[in-house]
Amino acid sequence: MKQQLVVRLFKAFVAASAIAILAGCASGAHREGMAAAPLASTKKLPHTVSVTAAGGQETGAMDSSNVSNADLKAAIEDSITRSNLFRNVIQGRGGDYDLAVTVTQLEKPIFGGAFTVTVEAGWSLVRTSDKSVVLRKAIKTSHTAEFSDSLVGTTRLRLAVEGAVRKNITEGLQTIAALPI
Amino acid sequence: MRRTLKLAAAALLLAVLTTGCAVNKATATVDPSARLDTIRSVHVKPYANDERGTDKVIVDNLRARGYQVSTGKEPAGSVDALVTYVDKWFWDITMYMLELTIQIRDPKTDYPIATGYSMHTSLTRKSPPDMVDEVLGNIIKEGKGK
Repeated sequence: MKQQLVVRLFKAFVAASAIAILAGCASGAHREGMAAAPLASTKKLPHTVSVTAAGGQETGAMDSSNVSNADLKAAIEDSITRSNLFRNVIQGRGGDYDLAVTVTQLEKPIFGGAFTVTVEAGWSLVRTSDKSVVLRKAIKTSHTAEFSDSLVGTTRLRLAVEGAVRKNITEGLQTIAALPI
Repeated sequence: MRRTLKLAAAALLLAVLTTGCAVNKATATVDPSARLDTIRSVHVKPYANDERGTDKVIVDNLRARGYQVSTGKEPAGSVDALVTYVDKWFWDITMYMLELTIQIRDPKTDYPIATGYSMHTSLTRKSPPDMVDEVLGNIIKEGKGK
């Protein structure tokens, strides 16, 4: 009788551990989720641009959702292409402008129902012909993923990270669109 | 049978508890245009949610490195750089500093010219002075490589 109880407890423990491990497996923010919607501005710059991203982190197996440099770069490039803000996005060096975006802060909650994530990134736009800095700005944005967005905590956190980055990209591109270049 | 079950349970418990307990990260990013070697005076702005005096640890570390350091909400005079930070603490038997991010900013534009980040989970936890020293050390080291 007592042995059966021990076996049942053990099975329950194994099941609970499996759920805990699976629920704790986070994935990094997806580039599609971070890409901004086309800008309201109809400005089309007659220049090409090269994009670099830094300050991001890969998401480890037991980590919470992070933003990788490769996905951030791709999301910015997708956003530029969607909005037609620049004539073309150039891979590597060789664009008329170099856009460098560096994540300097990613504030994430550890527990909670509604997750609010804040991201700060430094946006720098340099004209390659004379190396003049035409934009240097810190942009801070937040996004809250509600319990209704996803019941799974790790997914909710990823959605919050993606939302905060998406808003950051939107604000960054709006700032560039307003520049007299 | 019972003994085997106990051993298996203990092993599983250990696996569940330890896999997430030894994550270490230490990174630093410095803007290509930044000249950290020209910075002499800095102002440390306390983080609004700092309840454990991390600002004082940062001030002490910077002074020990030879910088002229002021602290408070806003600098009284002109400084070469602003220092901001965000610390995150966690509980595991005792409270410990899980993450620390320090930013060096242009005082005129608030633009972050350098950032350092360290994360050490419970089993490899570091004291606040060691965390601060690691983050600032990595920023300075990265700046010298530019």
